[in-house]
Amino acid sequence: MPGKKKVGMIISILLVGGALAYLALGNFGENVVYFFTPSEVKAFSTDYYQKKVRVGGMVVEGSMETYPDRLGLTFQLTDGEATIPVTFEGIPPDLFKEGQGAVVEGYWTGEHRFESNLIMAKHSEDYMPIELKRAGVELPRKDFMKSLVE
Amino acid sequence: MTIHRVIRKVQRFQGWFGGGAALCLGVGLYLGLIGSPPDYYQGEVVRIMYIHVPLAHTALLAYIVLTIGSLWYLWKRDPIVDNMCQAVAALSAVFTALALGTGMIWGKPTWDTWWTWDARLTSFTVLLLILIGYLMLRTFVDDPEKEARYGAILAIVGFVDLPIIHFSVEWWRTLHQPQSISMRGVSISSGLLVPLMFMSIGMSLLFSYMLMVRTQLLYLDRLLHAKQGRLLSQFHLSKSDS
Amino acid sequence: MTNLYLRWGGVLIVAIVFIVLTYNYYRDHLASLVPQQVKQEAPTGDVRVLGMVQGGTLETRAAGEATFTLLGKSATLPVHYQGPPPDNLRELKILVLVGTWNAATQVFEARDIGIVPNYGFIAGAYLLGLLPLALFLFAMARRVHFLYDEIKASKLYEEE
Repeated sequence: MPGKKKVGMIISILLVGGALAYLALGNFGENVVYFFTPSEVKAFSTDYYQKKVRVGGMVVEGSMETYPDRLGLTFQLTDGEATIPVTFEGIPPDLFKEGQGAVVEGYWTGEHRFESNLIMAKHSEDYMPIELKRAGVELPRKDFMKSLVE
Repeated sequence: MTIHRVIRKVQRFQGWFGGGAALCLGVGLYLGLIGSPPDYYQGEVVRIMYIHVPLAHTALLAYIVLTIGSLWYLWKRDPIVDNMCQAVAALSAVFTALALGTGMIWGKPTWDTWWTWDARLTSFTVLLLILIGYLMLRTFVDDPEKEARYGAILAIVGFVDLPIIHFSVEWWRTLHQPQSISMRGVSISSGLLVPLMFMSIGMSLLFSYMLMVRTQLLYLDRLLHAKQGRLLSQFHLSKSDS
Repeated sequence: MTNLYLRWGGVLIVAIVFIVLTYNYYRDHLASLVPQQVKQEAPTGDVRVLGMVQGGTLETRAAGEATFTLLGKSATLPVHYQGPPPDNLRELKILVLVGTWNAATQVFEARDIGIVPNYGFIAGAYLLGLLPLALFLFAMARRVHFLYDEIKASKLYEEE
């Protein structure tokens, strides 16, 4: 069936062409950022209030507090310049830790607080056994904070 | 009628690649699952890296081979090169899909999400779509010469995704972590690097072996079909048998 | 064809032996109990216990010493931890503790803390990564053998 074949050919070319066009023109890359930084969130106009966004940063050491009676926590998220308070309902991921990177999804409220319902723990690209870490070994790495501020 | 000399060479040497792959993967699996320490941050689940990263590397390696093969085909128009391209595209698609699958399994216990549309994951999914499109296109073209030519052009155009995949973690903010092995240095300590190296080398050898087997398969298929008169392409016959 | 099946049979046997040995290793060295099992069975010697640190119970006394309550599905376990400064100890976190059960004081004496090992995810990733490759390769190798046989049978092939 030549007609069918032609349709199939067009579909497969569209598949590749569409995929490439998405890379080149679509909402990929510079047009849409995967997450905002706390500085950008602080500078949000009111349009962004109550809009679902993702924010990435470092969890500030010693800022995490849990509730005794329910699942949830509050902590501060920073990019080195600005810090925003985050509240979260639920159980955080296993790798969520103070002093480590995290991407939180939720809403920036008018009261300048980020209400999140999803935390994604961001881990770095260095891998080593716990003994080496305790011995204070440092591996060459790209600073996560630098990649945020640039 | 004789078997092409390249295929005869492949037949003779493929066993070394298969054996080498089995050896490296065996050592790599032992070291990766039992003989290596857990990571300070991720704990035991870091062991998924030893399967995920080699699969992803091999998928990209396979696409590079496909691009070179496609250029070579357009230059020389040798049908056996086209057999190799068709074989490597299928393998690249399988490795890409498995890299995505193991990545999802790694993402759940570490990031706490199976999937997210960050730049690395999106560009890798695009690679899978390109490969599926390539393989689909080939099934829909009747003339083998046209099939090979269209496929080669499509594969070369699709190559633009490879630098995007590689640099996605540097150019954009992503949830996916940057490369551990790069110009900056290696940020994996030796205890965890050795199993990764074994698995990476083993996976590359396994890929080479699978490529040899699949190229042979497609060649023999073409040979048989051509001789039985089901595929009346004098072009492919005269080239392959000369 | 026989050669092919022999070779792949060998691969299969090696794979099964490896899987069984790995599974046994994990079961003997790395399996963990839950709090109610510890309370009921009162095991002696080193055990691993899996549970969640109950919110509001964590008290850090010094850098390497803390007390908290470990929450299981149907029981809780008072824990006294003493060891290297823990990286992962915080409230609402699911952890694996290594230590001994003190039946006299009804307190679990932990000396090491790790995060949930997620062996299921690891096994899943390895099976997903390797099984399809093996099946794909087997199918291809079988087809190649079949094609050679057919080519020989159809007298298209001349021996060198």
